[in-house]
This record gives sequence, C-alpha cells and structure tokens, in this order.
Amino acid sequence: MSLAIVPDPEAMLKAAERSGRDWWRRLFHRPPAVIGLAGVAVVTIAAIFAPLLSPYSPVASSFQHILAPSFSPGHLLGTDELGRDVLSRLIYGAQPTLEVGLLATGLALVVGVPIGLVSGYYRGAGDMIVMRVADVVLAFPFLLLAIGFAAIFGPSLRNVVVALGIGSLPGFVRIARAEAMALREQDYVQAAIVTGVRDRVILFRHLLPNMAGPILVQATLTIPGAILGSALLAYLGLGEQPPTASWGTMLTAAQDHLFNDPWLAILPGLAIFITTLCFNLLGDGLRDLFDPALS
Amino acid sequence: MRAYVVRRLGQSIFTLVVASVLVFLGVRAVPGNPATALTGNADLSPAAIAAINRQYGLNQPVPVQYADWLRQVLTGHLGASPVTGLSITAELANAFPITIELTILSMLIGILIGVPSGIFAAVRRGKVADYVGNAVALFGLSIPSFWFGIVLILIFAVKLHVLPASSYVSFLSSPGSNLSHMVMPAFVLGTGVAAVLMRQMRSGMLEALRTDYVRTARAKGLPEPSVVLKHALRNSLVTVATVIGLQIGVLLSGVAVTETVFGLSGIGSLTINAVFQRDYPTIQAVALITAAAVIAINFAMDFVYAFLSPRVQVEGAAQ
Repeated sequence: MSLAIVPDPEAMLKAAERSGRDWWRRLFHRPPAVIGLAGVAVVTIAAIFAPLLSPYSPVASSFQHILAPSFSPGHLLGTDELGRDVLSRLIYGAQPTLEVGLLATGLALVVGVPIGLVSGYYRGAGDMIVMRVADVVLAFPFLLLAIGFAAIFGPSLRNVVVALGIGSLPGFVRIARAEAMALREQDYVQAAIVTGVRDRVILFRHLLPNMAGPILVQATLTIPGAILGSALLAYLGLGEQPPTASWGTMLTAAQDHLFNDPWLAILPGLAIFITTLCFNLLGDGLRDLFDPALS
Repeated sequence: MRAYVVRRLGQSIFTLVVASVLVFLGVRAVPGNPATALTGNADLSPAAIAAINRQYGLNQPVPVQYADWLRQVLTGHLGASPVTGLSITAELANAFPITIELTILSMLIGILIGVPSGIFAAVRRGKVADYVGNAVALFGLSIPSFWFGIVLILIFAVKLHVLPASSYVSFLSSPGSNLSHMVMPAFVLGTGVAAVLMRQMRSGMLEALRTDYVRTARAKGLPEPSVVLKHALRNSLVTVATVIGLQIGVLLSGVAVTETVFGLSGIGSLTINAVFQRDYPTIQAVALITAAAVIAINFAMDFVYAFLSPRVQVEGAAQ
C-alpha cells in the first residue's frame, strides 16, 4: 500500500482557501453584481451615517417652507407637506428599510436553517410535522400574517420584522432540508456516521458549512422581498408610524399631493426600487457563482 | 395516481384545519376582554359586555366557540360585523368578484408576458434578447407594486388623461369601462408575476434543452421551433403550474395593496379597512378564506403538476 495516493492535507487546505478567495474575485468580475454591491454599500452608509450626511433633522418641520420644489435654496430635493427636508428624510429612511430587511431575513435564517437541517437529516415523523407546519405558514400570504400581527399586537417595526421573518421561514427550512438530505448521502458524511461521529458534530461541522452557499443566496434574495414587504406595510400604515422617516410612510403622505408635487411620491418609491434592485443584482451574482448552469 | 391525489387531499384538508384553528385562536390572542376586543370598544358597560358575550357566544368554552364559528363559516352565515353592522357574508360577496377578476387578469398578463419571454431568453441564451429579458425580469421583481401603481396613475390618468385613476365598474354593466379601470392594476400585478415566470421558464427551458429527449428530437431532424415548442412546452406548463402555486400568496398580498392604490373595493381593501376598524370577525373570515384559497390553488396545481409530469407522480407515490 502506497502512501503517495493520500492527498497532502496541507495542500488540500490551501486549495480550499484559494477557491474561497477565488469566489470573491469571481464576484468582482460580474458588472451587475458589482453594481449591486456598490448600491448596497451606498444604502448601508446612508443608514449608518444618516446624522452626518443629512443637511437637516428628518422630523424638523419649517412652516415657512411647505412643499418647496426641488432645487430650492437650502433644500436640494424640496420639502414635504410639513416643511421637512425631503433629502434628509430619504437618507434617514434607509435605516428602517435596512433594519427590517436584515432583521427579518436574519430571523428566518437563524430559526429556519437549524429546523430544516435537523428535519432533513433525521427525516421521520418530525420531518413530516415540520413540512406540514411550513404548508400552514405558506397558506397565509405574508401580508395577511403582518396584518394579523398588527391587528393583535398593534402596528410597529418589531411586529413587521416578526411577520416578515415568519413569512420567509419556509424558504430557509426547505433549502436547508433539501441540502441536508442530499449531503447526508455523500460519502464523507456516511463515513462520519459509520465511524460513530456524534450527530451534533455531523450536523454542524459536516453539513452546515457545506450548505453555506445556497443559504447565502437564499438570504440575499430574501432581503429585497423583506424590504418590499416592509415598505408595503409602512405604506398601508401597518409598519413604522409617522413622524419616523421611512420610504413607505413618505409615499403614503405624498399620495395626497400627487397632482401638484408628484416628486414627493416618485423619490421615496425610487429609493425602494433601487435598493431592492441592488440586492437582487447582488443575489443573482452570488447565485450564478454557486449554480453556473442557470446563468 | 389516485393514491397521490388522496394523500395530497388529506394533507390539504389537514393544513386547512390547522390554519382555521390558528385564525380562530389569533383573535382570542388579542389582549383584553374578548368582548372589548371583538367590538374594538374599550369602554363597554358590564351589561353591554354580557350582551355581546351572549350574541357572539363568548361565554361558551373555546372548543364550542370554534365549532360554532366553523358551522357559521360552512353554512355561509357569518353574522353582522360588530363595527359596520353590515352582513359579513354580503360584504364578502360584493368584494369577491373584484378580487377574482383582478387576480385572473394579472395572472393572464403575467403568463402572456412571462412565458414567451422566458422561452425566448433561453433559446437565445447569452444574446441580446436574453439580456433584455433578464433586465426586464429584474425590473419586475424589484419595483414596489404600489409605487408602480402610483407612477402609472401619474402618467396615464393625471398627465395623459387616457385611463381612469380609480374606482370600479362591474364587468356585466359595462365591459369596456370595467376593463379600462382594471388594466392598470392588473398590469401592475402582472409585471411581478411575469418576472418570476420569465426567470423560472428560462431556467426550466435551459434544463429541458439539455435533456436526452430534446437531443433525440433534434437528431431525428425535427425543425428547431418544433423541438422547442412541442417537446419543451409540456415542461413549460409544469413551470407555469408551479409558479402559480408559489406566487398565489404573493399575488394575494399584492392584490390587497393594489386595490388600495386604485380604490377598488375588493377583498384586500375590505381586509385593510377591517384591520383599521378592529373588525375582528371580518378579519377572521377574510383570513380563513384567503388561506383556503391558497391551499386549494396549491392542491389544484399539484394535481396539474402530477398530470403534466409523470416523473413527479412516481416520486410522489413512492414517498
């Protein structure tokens, strides 16, 4: 028996590291993904540094300057019906948008992935129950879930996050479950099972890291959905409450001035649109890296 | 096949029962006295509370209340709304045709745009048509439907005066006017459906074009349009069925908002008004009906799916 056929573990590690880094580099070779990443970065910076970037407070009204048009002196994008600076409100509006998008997705991921992982690995009765519960959740459109939460617990940002998180759960459960079922049949996992490696180790050290790709893609594509959902709920008055600056509530208020000041409605919608678009571009780029057959 | 249908039917009924329990208990989860929660009025006298408890059977044990409610739902006698005093059944009957018309029209628009563009993009993979198709799909996926609706109103109603901005005219009383009122909201919702369909169609077609049966068809010397349309079309119908099943929940959410934007008094507007008026019996009824619709459509789509794709049927039966 020759030892030469056993691959050098150190070389394998290096190769793995290389392909890991490669993965980032390949992402940067895709113009749409780079545009998406840049857009996401801009929105993130706006959200974090809103107090430094905004010329005014987002809630400070000035009754001398009500409904000022764009490019007015001191107000680049004009003011709204309470004389608040539209540019400042747009910048601050990035905060609840990102908050809901990231928190709802994070909630769905943190709860959904372990459930899917365990039920896909063990199958059996538990798996059946999980899938039926997922069916029940899917039977309620996310809007209905959010409406239910708002009706029972009152409208708030936290309830929006919980409702959108629950609505996005089945997606993560299904992906983690499918991956766990497929990975379980792989030789290295079977070998680990046969050699008596503890289940916990198999689940979290062998299975979880190997499904990181599809889960990352699912997360990147869930965020834009959550952002659209939160904007929609805010628009309906079920999310953030005025006077908090959010793109959805800005749109609601602007609808009363559609005839005279259409830009008040166009700008916040454009902000939601561009943010969602950038997340989708980034998500598509990542998906193409993991599943090149579809690009 | 029969075993598969029976099993799926059983699952669907089970899901529906669990959903109905959740809907029922959801209203019981509202903090405070059920009578004040039901009417949304916190300052009720003890006598008024007793009257409401009697009227709505709130002093019965919870399982009895659930059974009563279920009987009301099944017989279609949902009683009067405690807020508006109107018959909930009648309100639903008025709102339903609007929502169903809007849903069907947007599905149609979505299919008419999404299916051909998906096929076209797959056949022309990597060419200009593919990029344009993908860009349009990305646009449809990212645009907030309610804002898109507002922008369309701005362009076609406010600036160009070619379409009415809001309200509803029944199809039977004036088909032309009905369609001119519905075209913008249906287009808004249809774009979202088209985007998802286009993407799914494209990847489904790319997969189908690589299969052995397509290679065989080509080797037989069949002309390319016939290969694509005949051999891959069956596959594409499976995709349409899947997407309709998956999208129906999203679409129903979108319908609610679009109805609000365009002033259509369908199920969506009814729900949102009910939430703001804390009209719990109406919320319950709408939530249950929506869940039932989603479950029924998914069941129907699974059936279509099994019918169209023998592979699924075998897999389903083997499970």
